Amino acid sequence: MTATARNTALALTAWATAAVVYGTAHAVDTEFSMFWVFGLAFGFVLQRARFCFTSAFRDIFLLGHARTMKGLLLGLAVSSVGFGLVMSRQVPMTSLGVYPPSANVLPLGIHTGLGGLLFGIGMVVAGGCVSGSLYRMGEGYVASWVAFAGVMGGLLVSAYTWNWWWDAHIATAPRFWLPHWIGHPGALVVTLLALAAVYVWVVSVEHRAGVIVPPASGARPQAAPSQTESVADDLRSTLRRLFVQGWPVLPAGAVLGGLNVLLFTAREPWGFTGEVSRWSIATASLFDAAPGPLAGVETLPGCVLVPSDGLVFNHMLFLVLGMFFGSFAAAVGAGEFKLRVPKRPVRYAQSLGGGVIMGYGSGIGMGCTIGAFFSAIPSLAVNGWVFGGFLAIGAWIGTHIIRRIE
Amino acid sequence: MTPTKLDVRGEICPYPMMRTVSALKKLSGDEMVLEVVTDHAPCLETIPTQAARLGFRTDIEETGASEWRIMITRTEAEDEG
Repeated sequence: MTATARNTALALTAWATAAVVYGTAHAVDTEFSMFWVFGLAFGFVLQRARFCFTSAFRDIFLLGHARTMKGLLLGLAVSSVGFGLVMSRQVPMTSLGVYPPSANVLPLGIHTGLGGLLFGIGMVVAGGCVSGSLYRMGEGYVASWVAFAGVMGGLLVSAYTWNWWWDAHIATAPRFWLPHWIGHPGALVVTLLALAAVYVWVVSVEHRAGVIVPPASGARPQAAPSQTESVADDLRSTLRRLFVQGWPVLPAGAVLGGLNVLLFTAREPWGFTGEVSRWSIATASLFDAAPGPLAGVETLPGCVLVPSDGLVFNHMLFLVLGMFFGSFAAAVGAGEFKLRVPKRPVRYAQSLGGGVIMGYGSGIGMGCTIGAFFSAIPSLAVNGWVFGGFLAIGAWIGTHIIRRIE
Repeated sequence: MTPTKLDVRGEICPYPMMRTVSALKKLSGDEMVLEVVTDHAPCLETIPTQAARLGFRTDIEETGASEWRIMITRTEAEDEG
């Protein structure tokens, strides 16, 4: 059997398994099956484009590269337009002072900045953020499993300190939603202009950094000029572009932004650290170490900590597992799955430690690169920009740390 | 002269690129080639750029499932040859 035939057989088996899970989940609760599909789609796209939020921030400082950041900015632009449209229907009268019910407009304060800063440091030290670790877990990176365990630990630690943060800062912190000040069109225009300004900045960073060699064509072939002979050949080459060749980062960013708009329209924006915290707290409660009641969490949207409810399944569990499985299916189909085991012991320590720092940051920041950033800026919320700015500062600090533990 | 070899298989991001750059900086003046073995695909995009900035050219060859050999050659070696 050729490698391509074997990969195709493995991928078909993986997708058939995903279909069985879909059918079973659908019979129990249609929310479960819908979130499973969203998870698969996010995981598939993240893996196909190797859309790493950590590298988007880190490589600006480490290499003077902005390849992934450009895709991320396009995704934010697409989702800002989509979210803006949905929210203008949810809250037609911005002068009334109400907030859109499920958008990630979060209390803004020290916890936002510190959360972003810690998350930025942790993701660079661990070699991936939460979504990045999830898709790399599906590719067979053992260190990403360790990082994910660290994130679970850090979320638990943040849950122990949550009530202090709530009393001292979060309960009284204001929420800033741009449409309250400048209306829906104004908020969207300001957001798009700010994204364009960041684009100009990263392009100028690239020019200062000097030569950039375009991706090698031999390693992960991009689409070649096609000289196909039949409809079947054409379709085959389309399938190869989707499932075998790597996706360019710009269309991937746009698709991720579009998927986020669909998920927001269906129920809530993309985000999952709240769900991962539910797993941590449930695990701790098995050892009678649960943090107890968390003040105010039921009043907050987004990826705020979720106390254990004694249940195993909910729709968000299917989203997170779907992201992992979607990446796994994508990786085996492209022949990119391989167990990668770090040889240096320090890598396990830094994946775990970086994960814990990330987890704590996402606990007090109420989200990760997705919930507190990729879903918060399109919510036209100021907290998304503050979290993102501190993510960048944290990533800059993180690049100094990793240079010292080479 | 056999090229200096660097095996970065199993390494986490971005160490395959960083250790390659360190190894290139440590090459003595008469060493023309560094051979890097990796299973981390993202570095196939970052190493060529970093190598070019240090005056090297890269050739990538897929040697197995998700495994690559990257030959990094000093560009002045070619000018002389």
